[in-house]
Amino acid sequence: MTPVIELKDLRVKLGRREILQGISCRLGVSGAGKAIGLLGPNGAGKSTLILSLLGFHKASGGSARILGLDCHAQAREVKARVGYMPENEAFIADMSAVRFLRIMGELSGLPPRVALERAHEVLFHVGLGEARYRPLGTYSLGMKQMAKLAQAIMHGPELVILDEPTNGLDPAARARMLKLVVEMKQEHGMSIVLCSHLLRDVEEVCDEVVILKDGRIAHHANLEEERRANRRFVELEVSGDDRNFAASLREHGIEGVSEGGGRWRIVLPPELELDVIWRLVGRENLEVNRLTHRRDTLEEIFLKAVGHIKRTAGEAAKPVEEVTADGRL
Amino acid sequence: MAVYRRGYQRYQGPLSSRGSRLLVLPKFAWERLMQTRLVVIIFVLAMFWPVACAVFVYLSNHTELLQGFGPQAAQLLKIDGNFFVVFMNTQSMFAIVLSAFAGPSLIAPDLANGALPLYFSRPLSRTEYILSRMLVLIGVLSPITWVPGVLLFLMQSSMAGGTWFSENWQLGVGIFFGFLLYILLVSLVAMASSAYVRWRIIAGALVLGVFFILAGAAELVNEVLRVEWASALNPVRAMNQIWRSMLGAEPIAGPEAYQCFIVILVMTGLLLAVLQRKLRPVEVVS
Repeated sequence: MTPVIELKDLRVKLGRREILQGISCRLGVSGAGKAIGLLGPNGAGKSTLILSLLGFHKASGGSARILGLDCHAQAREVKARVGYMPENEAFIADMSAVRFLRIMGELSGLPPRVALERAHEVLFHVGLGEARYRPLGTYSLGMKQMAKLAQAIMHGPELVILDEPTNGLDPAARARMLKLVVEMKQEHGMSIVLCSHLLRDVEEVCDEVVILKDGRIAHHANLEEERRANRRFVELEVSGDDRNFAASLREHGIEGVSEGGGRWRIVLPPELELDVIWRLVGRENLEVNRLTHRRDTLEEIFLKAVGHIKRTAGEAAKPVEEVTADGRL
Repeated sequence: MAVYRRGYQRYQGPLSSRGSRLLVLPKFAWERLMQTRLVVIIFVLAMFWPVACAVFVYLSNHTELLQGFGPQAAQLLKIDGNFFVVFMNTQSMFAIVLSAFAGPSLIAPDLANGALPLYFSRPLSRTEYILSRMLVLIGVLSPITWVPGVLLFLMQSSMAGGTWFSENWQLGVGIFFGFLLYILLVSLVAMASSAYVRWRIIAGALVLGVFFILAGAAELVNEVLRVEWASALNPVRAMNQIWRSMLGAEPIAGPEAYQCFIVILVMTGLLLAVLQRKLRPVEVVS
């Protein structure tokens, strides 16, 4: 199976500074309609990586392939199969959206008649149908983002690279943008590379995530697997005699740590649901004062990858070796 | 089905040829230029002199119509290299003005609006982009330069007969290639100005400045240093000397045609370097 992106020791220098310092990975599977999230703090090399994939920056070492094609040697073939939505404003201000999309479509190789038809179709698809004859310069920020998305998907690319697509959008527009992105991968089988600072966006849309830090890959994870493998963390506060509660938890293969004062930190195995805890609490005649239940978030995974925290919440709940027989620390 | 009901589908059909994509940007740019009133006015004004020259050619071949002006009138109406050099010099001025108005709208808006990443993320190289933009100016300048020039030459050939043609065919070749070289220079100046200055008006002024200020500067150097070589730095004068050489007309004082040609080539190289430097999809600050 051809990976969507394949990097082998990719190095990119801008001036004398090496921005990408030997990145190697295989991301996505061509035609599978999956989204890859590209994360990292400012200056991590996300934009440089995207621009290198588009052939805007020449690699100083290693190689980058998109859909099995070399990004430098086969740049023309790569660009014919890729759609790109840049982060910054990029359009012709005094041009109508239809005209703008026609030009972009024809430059991508669409015959003129097809380009005109598709310009209308795509603009309706992204919700700009009523405004399609208005000059792009008069569009609101949200509309401009949609117009940028429209030009990226105009020619029906196999891979769409979206650089900060929800930047500056209000909640409704953001939801609409993410819905469109999800549709692109699920209904049209497009592969997506989503570069964003907004972890929630990536978490909502992406199936795979690469976290860059200082020009290297700090973390590469399949989000679906990560979510499944991620031990689920429950914080519980009870009143009553909870001395036997640790043993009850262990009976069900649940790890739990008492922090004293009726406060428990529990790690729920993937195969068990939360109602087990409720049943055990009931069996022990305990009164629940507070119960919070959540998985490790992408934010925690991200913060751990970039070194801002040492452990995710789930990991923090498992100092099993420090737990005494009665479950106390 | 109504377009708003169709929904989005990925395009799987045939694609256009690589060559035809080169004409996409010119096609839309020509449309826009022809909607600009000022460009159309200059375009129309630039047609007057060729029409006047056509009348001149007609009269020179029908001297019986000038009998009332005496026998010397017919002697003045001689169609030769000098006639075409005058024609070319006049049209070259219109070409500069037209490129000053049409040229800046080609690249400056793309740079100002950050559109280059959109172009270059498609199967369009930087060279093809430059070529596309140059085609716009070639298309606009051709109808006021070599096209009427060659038509005048053909008109004269058809009226004066095969002997005149066989003796003066190099005039037609000179008009064609002389104007092509000039269009190349003017287009590059217009595009480089447009790429260097992102504001259209200033870019237009820069185009005029390159031609007219350089001319003044060249004359100043000549006067101050009491030399003649600086005339080669005046692109209009340099082209005039090259054309005179190509059309077999009397050369003007100053650097010779080959020296002027070298200067024009160097200018062309410098302008290409400016375009190469400025037309990048992303700016790298190192």
